[in-house]
Amino acid sequence: MAGAIIENMSTKKLVIVGVALLLCQAFTFMVGGLIAPSPTTAVPYLATKCVDTIKHRQESKWFMPWGPNQCHKIRSFDEATAKMIEANNIVFAVHIPLPNKEMSSWFQFMLVILQFDIAFKMYNQIEDGAMVTIDVGLAYRDDTISEWTEMAHSFEQRKLSCNFTTAKTYENEGRYYECDLMPFMEVGSVSHKYYLLNMRLPVNERKKVNVGIGEIKDIRLVSIHQNGGFTQVWFAMKTFLTPSILIIMIWYWRRITLMSRPPVLLEKVILALGISMTFINIPVEWFSISFNWTWMLLFGDIRQGIFYSMLLSFWIIFCGEHLMETQFFEALVLGRGELKMCVSCVPAIQIFPERPTNKSQDQTERNRFSVYWKQVGPIVFGSFCLFIFDMCERGVQLTNPFYSIWASDVGTELAMAFIIVAGICACLYFLFLCFMVFQVFRNISGKRTSLPAMSKARRLHYEGLIFRFKFLMLVTLICAAMTVIFFIISQVNEGHWHWGEHTVQVNSAFFTGIYGMWNLYVFAIMFLYAPSHKRYGDEQSSGQCITGDAGANSGEDIQLTTTITHVDGPTEIYKMTGKEAQE
Amino acid sequence: MSEESVLRCVLMLCCALLSANASNWLYLAKLSSVGSIRDEETCERLRGLIQRQVQICKRSVEVMDAVRRGAQLAIDECQFQFRNRRWNCSTLESMPVFGKVVTQGTREAAFVYAISAASVAFAVTRACSSGELEKCGCDHNVHGVSPEGYHWSGCSDNIAYGVAFSQSFVDVRERSKGQSSSRALMNLHNNEAGRKAILSHMRVECKCHGVSGSCEVKTCWKAMPPFRKVGNVIKEKFDGATEVEQRKVGTTKILVPRNSQFKPHTDEDLVYLDPSPDFCDHDPRTPGMLGTVGRQCNRTSKAIDGCELMCCGRGFQTQEVEVVDRCSCKFHWCCYVKCKQCRKMVEVHTCR
Repeated sequence: MAGAIIENMSTKKLVIVGVALLLCQAFTFMVGGLIAPSPTTAVPYLATKCVDTIKHRQESKWFMPWGPNQCHKIRSFDEATAKMIEANNIVFAVHIPLPNKEMSSWFQFMLVILQFDIAFKMYNQIEDGAMVTIDVGLAYRDDTISEWTEMAHSFEQRKLSCNFTTAKTYENEGRYYECDLMPFMEVGSVSHKYYLLNMRLPVNERKKVNVGIGEIKDIRLVSIHQNGGFTQVWFAMKTFLTPSILIIMIWYWRRITLMSRPPVLLEKVILALGISMTFINIPVEWFSISFNWTWMLLFGDIRQGIFYSMLLSFWIIFCGEHLMETQFFEALVLGRGELKMCVSCVPAIQIFPERPTNKSQDQTERNRFSVYWKQVGPIVFGSFCLFIFDMCERGVQLTNPFYSIWASDVGTELAMAFIIVAGICACLYFLFLCFMVFQVFRNISGKRTSLPAMSKARRLHYEGLIFRFKFLMLVTLICAAMTVIFFIISQVNEGHWHWGEHTVQVNSAFFTGIYGMWNLYVFAIMFLYAPSHKRYGDEQSSGQCITGDAGANSGEDIQLTTTITHVDGPTEIYKMTGKEAQE
Repeated sequence: MSEESVLRCVLMLCCALLSANASNWLYLAKLSSVGSIRDEETCERLRGLIQRQVQICKRSVEVMDAVRRGAQLAIDECQFQFRNRRWNCSTLESMPVFGKVVTQGTREAAFVYAISAASVAFAVTRACSSGELEKCGCDHNVHGVSPEGYHWSGCSDNIAYGVAFSQSFVDVRERSKGQSSSRALMNLHNNEAGRKAILSHMRVECKCHGVSGSCEVKTCWKAMPPFRKVGNVIKEKFDGATEVEQRKVGTTKILVPRNSQFKPHTDEDLVYLDPSPDFCDHDPRTPGMLGTVGRQCNRTSKAIDGCELMCCGRGFQTQEVEVVDRCSCKFHWCCYVKCKQCRKMVEVHTCR
């Protein structure tokens, strides 16, 4: 890709574009920080202990914790002991949401976390590796009077990982164990107004079910859902960003196709980046407002995964393409000392008189994606691992919302294996990337010295190459640093800052700002790295490096292509196609 | 008796009479006969509430059950924390619940006020999470509720509502008398310290739920500590309570440490005005002052539960009694215990 817009644009115009992008960036941060509420809300619930008075269980019976038709409640289990109620007859009921509220499809998803309050008793301690078996049912309804409809029913096992921080003595009886949070339920769409959870902890001594789990005092749940306000702001952002990326993408591709030569790999990759960005942007979530699409959460993950792997591949290929061009030059300089002595700036074409014999073959070889298998391989493999993991977790949750891969030992090991492999792939990738960036920089610095000794056309070409590379390097580093900084802030921070009377939602600003930033990044790349109509050194090229009938050829008067015969390094065939320089 | 001490006694008596019934609402815990507090008329019949509390009761009847549970919780926790002390937080069946022990501005009174204010906040917050109350975190009286409502940004923490309710219900007695008396200042301070014991020990819990469960998206919330922990915190504050006196700074009256060399107390510390009695002997003129005669003590301990201190030097008697204990039990998580009965001989020491 010779003669990108970024090289031929005047500094003034570049500054204007930069300022405009920065303003957009600030705007996206402000939208999140000032307009949107915090991204998610956590609502704590305390399960009501209902008594199932009927001896023979009816499947269709649902227990309401409050309101009309509420169940027969007990306050504490001492009361149950006094009334001779058995553990099997106790139903923990939780109605989501709390009274006088209703859920809405703007909440997008709902996850529920389970926590047990278990009191320490000298003679009734939690055994090592105790598992709790929960017989749980989930029902919904859309008005306050109709019957409950069952949504899911399951027997779930969860590992109790509790520890008792103080000494296990009689003195400390009645203190609570500190138990880890347990993931309990995850639904990918909140299309109903009211949800009801009924849980039982059936005891079966013979099968060792729910034995040795200590003295349970209470069951607490926390439901997490996305805030409706945040969803609306998010949708609005997506709806606005989709056309902007789409338009610049079409414009970009039109420019590519206008050229006489077929597009090179890097240009294709930039287009792919734009496509994957648009794929994330397209606000299909609007449909989740009216349709009960539970796979939305999974779909969102997949879209993000595609974009991330595309972005990572783009970096590698960008570095790779620039490395080849510079490395190739380096080899020439080192191989033939006469270039340095060439005071009179003999055009390169005279130094290397070999003509390409098979032009089209070189072109295709250079554009081969397979050259990058070593670098892109880890990305593909890593994201494939994460995809499998996500399918195992959120995919299965489509059918059983209570499923969690972390609940069983085998599942935990499998999940850890996937994540570790993905992590290794990420490390491998970054090693490759860092190595490539290092190589490019080494080549650039090596070339700096020999730049003045080149023909104008070639010098401009290499200056453009270096500028293009450095610019992207800088922007990418800034974007990555911003992402990391904001990520850390959002992890450490409470989530909102108070500025006088204004509350700034830092977490929302993080999401909208970072999302906007990568959109602008893709936008800028497509805009600035699109081929320019201008030629190298329009007015200045009056000297020895006059390009031929440049006026007639609208764009790509100079093309630098490198052939690669083996993966490690490019061969030393350098050619200028088109109407090349004439003396 | 010198003239000064007589005057002081009279003053103290006045103070005591004025604030004698300040914690009378705790009597709610004893009202098991009332059933649940459902309608406004029940509020009138509740003993122990002052007029303004009755108004609050009428305004938010649904909360009163939680308040009553809070009162019970406060008494239980007080008895647990003081089980080894000379005054073991014993209650009477009549009003005031703790007799006249807490009518003076002693450390014990400070503890009772703190734990009861905390327990109301705790019980109301719990009731919120179990769906018994309708307003809670979405109540517009609570600061921090967004005007856009539940669908836009959710509700604030329930604890904010619990604390706000505790402030309005428990503090109303002191507020109605104005900020003038030092005892009112002490009570208000200790009430607030009790609530702070919950607020400053809230546990922050987080869940990551980004792409593939990564921490890209993380939601955190605050969970209340178990009430036993709150009790322990307040008991620690009781042990390190500061003796204060009232002083006028400008137009406002504040409490400052009596011993100026001590570090000034913080919002979370308990303060008291009067030194505690020794609680050794039964005093028929002071209901609730039961003395330590007949209390069990620990012969080997040198602390307050040891026989030496517990019996105030009166000595103790030792009996060997057969205790029927439960052993090799089988438990279920709830409601089922199957044990063998084991008998063993235990030495029991009781104060003379």
